[in-house]
Amino acid sequence: MPPIIAGKNRRKVRFLSKPPPSSSTSNQNQPGVSRPTPSSSSSGKMTSQAPRPGIPVLFTQPPPIRDPLVTETVDLQDATLDKCLPFLKGIQSSQQGPFNACGVPALQRDDHVVYLFDSLEDYPPSFVILDASRPWMAYWGLAGLFLMGEDPTRFRERLISTLRPAQNSTGGFGGGRGQISHLAGSYAAVLALAIVGGEDAYSLIDRQSMWQWLGRLKQPDGGFRVCEGGEEDVRGAYCVMTIISLLDLPVELPPDSPARNAGLHKLTDGLAQYLSRCQTYEGGISGSPGVEAHGAYAYCALACLALIGPPEETIPRQVQHMNLPLLVNWLSARQYAPEGGFSGRTNKLVDGCYSHWVGGCWPLLQSALDGKPQGKGPPATTVGSLFSREGLARYILGCCQSHNGGLRDKPGKHADSYHTCYVLAGLSAMQHYHYRTDSSATTSEHFASAFSWRSTPIREGNVYEKSDRLEPLHPLYGIPYPRADEMRLWCEARPIAP
Amino acid sequence: MAGKYESDPEWASVTPIPLDDGEESGAMPLASIAYPTEYLEATSYLRAVMAANEMSERALKLTQDVISMNAAHYTVWIYRAKILFALEKSLEDEVAWLNQVALKYLKNYQIWHHRQVLMSSRKHFPTLPPKEQDFLMDMFAQDSKNYHVWTYRHWLVRHFKLWDHPREIEDINHLLKADVRNNSAWSHRYMLRFGPRDDQLDAGMANAGDMSTTPGEKGVLAVVDEDMVDAELLFAQEAIVRAPENRSPWWFARGVLLASGRGLTEWEEFAEKFVDGDAVKSSHAIEWLADAYADGERDIQAAEMLNLLKEKYDPIRKNYWDYRMKMLDIPAH
Repeated sequence: MPPIIAGKNRRKVRFLSKPPPSSSTSNQNQPGVSRPTPSSSSSGKMTSQAPRPGIPVLFTQPPPIRDPLVTETVDLQDATLDKCLPFLKGIQSSQQGPFNACGVPALQRDDHVVYLFDSLEDYPPSFVILDASRPWMAYWGLAGLFLMGEDPTRFRERLISTLRPAQNSTGGFGGGRGQISHLAGSYAAVLALAIVGGEDAYSLIDRQSMWQWLGRLKQPDGGFRVCEGGEEDVRGAYCVMTIISLLDLPVELPPDSPARNAGLHKLTDGLAQYLSRCQTYEGGISGSPGVEAHGAYAYCALACLALIGPPEETIPRQVQHMNLPLLVNWLSARQYAPEGGFSGRTNKLVDGCYSHWVGGCWPLLQSALDGKPQGKGPPATTVGSLFSREGLARYILGCCQSHNGGLRDKPGKHADSYHTCYVLAGLSAMQHYHYRTDSSATTSEHFASAFSWRSTPIREGNVYEKSDRLEPLHPLYGIPYPRADEMRLWCEARPIAP
Repeated sequence: MAGKYESDPEWASVTPIPLDDGEESGAMPLASIAYPTEYLEATSYLRAVMAANEMSERALKLTQDVISMNAAHYTVWIYRAKILFALEKSLEDEVAWLNQVALKYLKNYQIWHHRQVLMSSRKHFPTLPPKEQDFLMDMFAQDSKNYHVWTYRHWLVRHFKLWDHPREIEDINHLLKADVRNNSAWSHRYMLRFGPRDDQLDAGMANAGDMSTTPGEKGVLAVVDEDMVDAELLFAQEAIVRAPENRSPWWFARGVLLASGRGLTEWEEFAEKFVDGDAVKSSHAIEWLADAYADGERDIQAAEMLNLLKEKYDPIRKNYWDYRMKMLDIPAH
């Protein structure tokens, strides 16, 4: 039964009601305490303690090759290993069980659900820095609750009243009243409205003015600014394609779009080329052309390409888009051992949120490699999973669960709504096989591929229990599958004239 | 008690527009914030002056006040930039103020975009301000891999055409000397040496998005300075010798060889030095050899290398190595 949400500051009360962690082991690995001094002996203290049974040595020992030269990168990596190893071995006192035969702790469902419900309630004054992110807070909380099997539609009225003042008559949503429209806020608002669903939620969105506004963000080089006067990056491109495909907005540029002066006619013109220019010599994708490859931007770019058209056509190099072998290699190198989780960039640390950003790239690349869908079911042959699902499950369940509820970047960090949503999304993504079929919810010439995805739970080779399985999210939209189709079809029935 | 704006005669003419976080509609809004009183008041006046598109000194001061309470308020930054240009304020003063804000809030998109907007003004900054690179190094002293700062620095190079500016490569050398694993610095180095210049569209790889070239030409430059290529390869080799299990220089070198149209085989001997029986010093050297052997149609040797990675040196990527193995032309056993 879901917990009943009481008034303000409920979280504080709940946190204090928890028993303090046992002091039977050294407290240097507990959250909030300064990190242990990195030492060249590298985790020697930890390796001396035996792990729980059922855990392969890959996840309990430092990597086999270690350079003698120590730099800041190595210090940070060693400190992270020191913090993660007791959690990976299942011997950290603050971890809650039960542990299964693979030595993996259970998902603390009740605690995370309480955390997510609380995340939608009141915040103290110090959270004023989230003033521009309230649509995000709504999306993260609602998506997280859905993943955990809760019913987010109960928040429909409250969501609508939250977002109504954030919408601008000139199109799009800002963070709140009086804030200019921003693609991030608009993306989160549209997704949150899709999650709660229903006529009242859909009809809140002024689709005509949204389209006009998107036209003003289009840039001559094919990309999008995130807001008028704001920066241009890959996030913007992904948010725009998400919004126009869900809301069935015309792909044509509005007549007054400044990008028409540069010879562009459609919102999609030059977009794949722009994304292609964001691929780096490492194979990954940067936030804007010429910068370092980064996991979160890689997801935005790949999801954007998979929205524009079928990923086997829009991602590979045949049409000058991505060098796919290089991209797959770079993405694969984001997974580290013994941590098991993903990093966002070369020589950076694992972070639970990349379970979604990097983990979410895998179904898209797998689908691109599997090629054109042939039927209503999964493809007859597939390249299969190209990363270690076991490693990711161990990192998420072993290292990312905060003992107060909520999920986090890594041991030593506090849980927050962002990480709770995206760590759970990553866990869900790797628990399911996401594939495309030859039938789509839309009969439109655009975005048919985006609405042709299906999923089925993966039942073999899991190191987590069946009770830890989450609901599946749409791999491009990050919302429940049926909610994506429903929003699209509702909008298709109410076309907007270009 | 009256707020600081309400009681200030300078603001007497303005009717503030209060917050509406959704509560007025009757349903409890989601993720509401118990805003500090000062923030509520300042943002109420901000909404009012923005609605009137007021370009004034008092509005400029107000934006600073709001930023001091919430630097992630993107709207106020964009409004502030507009006022600065409308009132023809000193952008040098603005940059000086911004430096302090940037050092305080390290992870913030708005600050760096604002800096780019200021620096884009050819009228105010016809050439690179002399202290600009110094300040970026101050930022890197706080966080040498700060993505916002590196994105800005890349923009700066293109805007002021700094590819051959001595400070750029000096700073990169300095950062790599301090931490040879700084992949952001390696990426910047690559763009200095091999990135598109002048009026060419910006891109991480040559020919990207250019429909007139073949897919195989992505990343391959039409013309390269072979001496420069050799020098960069030597630089990468020296970095690898210092720390062989460092992915950055190995992949930098692959990018260099790709750009210059040269294959991996010329580094075979070098890579083999790190793969000697039980004394393997670099998984990246093994991977290099796997690719070099596969390029040279020595698939059985390539498979041996992939097996080493799968079984011993990088087993978390087992599924990927298996996938690579399937692409080789070797009989199944």
